[in-house]
Amino acid sequence: MTDTKPQTRRQRRAARRAEREAAAARVMPPEGVPLRLPIAGVGVRLGAQITDILITGVAAIALVILLSMLDITGPNTLSAIAALIFFTIRVPYYVMAELAWNGQTLGKKFMKIKVVAHDGGPLTTHALVLRNIMKEAEVFLPGTLILTLTQANPIASWISLAWVTMALIIPLTNPHRMRLGDMLAGTHVVFLPVPILLKDLAQAPVQATYAKKERFPFLQHHLEHYGRFELQTLEAYLRAQGRANSATMAKRNRETAATIVDRIRKKIDYAEVIDEKDHVSFLQAFYKAQRAHLEQRQLFGDRRDDKHHAAAQD
Amino acid sequence: MQDARSIRSARFREEREKDWTRLEELVTKAERGGVQSLRFSEARDLASLYRQATTSLAIAREISLDRALLEYLEALAARAYLSVYAPQERLGGLIGRFFAKSGPQAMRRSWIFILAGFACMGLGALVGYLLYLESNDWYYVFVPSGLSGGRGPDASTAYLRSIIYDASPSAVGLGAFASYLFSHNTRIAIFVFGLGVFACVPAILLTFYNGLIFGAFLALHVDRGLGWDIGGWLSVHGVTELSAICIACGGGLQLGAAILFPGQNTRKEALRLAGRDAVKLAIVAALMLLVAALLEGFARQLIQDMPTRYVVGWGIGSLWLAWFVLVGRQS
Repeated sequence: MTDTKPQTRRQRRAARRAEREAAAARVMPPEGVPLRLPIAGVGVRLGAQITDILITGVAAIALVILLSMLDITGPNTLSAIAALIFFTIRVPYYVMAELAWNGQTLGKKFMKIKVVAHDGGPLTTHALVLRNIMKEAEVFLPGTLILTLTQANPIASWISLAWVTMALIIPLTNPHRMRLGDMLAGTHVVFLPVPILLKDLAQAPVQATYAKKERFPFLQHHLEHYGRFELQTLEAYLRAQGRANSATMAKRNRETAATIVDRIRKKIDYAEVIDEKDHVSFLQAFYKAQRAHLEQRQLFGDRRDDKHHAAAQD
Repeated sequence: MQDARSIRSARFREEREKDWTRLEELVTKAERGGVQSLRFSEARDLASLYRQATTSLAIAREISLDRALLEYLEALAARAYLSVYAPQERLGGLIGRFFAKSGPQAMRRSWIFILAGFACMGLGALVGYLLYLESNDWYYVFVPSGLSGGRGPDASTAYLRSIIYDASPSAVGLGAFASYLFSHNTRIAIFVFGLGVFACVPAILLTFYNGLIFGAFLALHVDRGLGWDIGGWLSVHGVTELSAICIACGGGLQLGAAILFPGQNTRKEALRLAGRDAVKLAIVAALMLLVAALLEGFARQLIQDMPTRYVVGWGIGSLWLAWFVLVGRQS
């Protein structure tokens, strides 16, 4: 392990913050295997919120237009009715949506985020009602107050503004990004991780290697140079390799492959020259061999995080 | 060593991949339709496959360097964890349960805070009343001009009477309902509840102030010999509406008390516990405000007779009281 100590104050603080965030995202299920549910940031939640406001707003406007067409009420009370309709659509919408979809409104679904209970248990009705009622008290009512009160009552406007600002700042002060309603309800919002199983790179070229076995023989000393970080970087490159969809990109990929092959050959002292058409298969073969080697070392308790592992062991 | 079959982690993955895909299907199904939509065998598989997946994850963290696999398992296990441990609550009987049990029970549990809310309002009303009798000018101090609608010490007795028995009000029906709902009192109730978090003080002050307005307003009419008439006019909706404010104040006080006196818990935890009842109080208050706006928008214009107004107002008030006191007791 190289473990270069962070030098400046800012780096230290960033490291501490990253640690806090990782701790906040960690969930410990009864099975005893820590899982990760990354905390959704304020920006994403704001995006979801705006989507929801648009949805409920459009519904409310449609209803108001319908009412005014039906000519039930006079124009002088229409604004009050509009406010009432927006309110009576908005509040049940959030509660009902989060109840029905287990912590997701439509906006949250778009943003792939979800409300979860802080203690990891099921979301209770109580918690969902509370966090959404508090949303009214935190943001919407003072917000409408700011919009409606103007010059006539500056003090009330300033108080509302301060209140909304405070409500929006609170999430930034705690690692779970909980707003006041979340604290009361014991909930927080997480990113819903999407499981996508990519194919195993060590498995993929099996047929190719059967045809011509030991095409790129790697010896023990070839594989002692790199660690986990380099291996996974190579993995990321190889996965991106298949996604080239234009001629220029394919060309650039070939050039990158040439550079990487060059660097690897120099680093590991691989004598044989590789044909340009074999570059990718060489990298795949090297990935597989290197991974097998590193995983075997790991089983023996020799974890190699990166290429500095030898220096760290001294 | 070159053969993929010799890589332990690749074999590990190959052996379990089918189970993971099956788990993924089950999780998707459970997320879409709730755990209730699963058949018995599926629910059983979900639980056992989830445990297998967490074990796989623990092993993979030790033996595999394939980042794609690790990330997949992390995500899958987290998703499955939510499906298994945080499933959808059953929604049936939710509203019925609130009315039949949890609502009135919460009211009874927090009776002392509600009483404090009523005390704040009553004290305010008393002070407002006495101050008005001492000097008329207090009326202008307490009552904002927008709220009084021309009713003040300057107005003639005939004008005051005309408002109480108004045969042709400016707005009736739905419009009036909406504008009354968003009137002064609703705003007060919301702020009283929300601001209670700040150590009770704003909630107490606001409720007291509202009481002052009410007291001065009452004193104005009593002074003109319209005491019984204004009583009837206010009773129709006021019994419900002012009680709603006091209950909202009770909820706010409960939150504030949790901040002030958290006991053995941390303040955050105390707030969370107090929130359980406080939010029910807020819902009850919202319900009452809704009813009050209905009464104010419809019933007050329809009923012009003073005794009937008293009967309707206090009758509905006693219905509320009966709900709070009698419903949802365990035998």
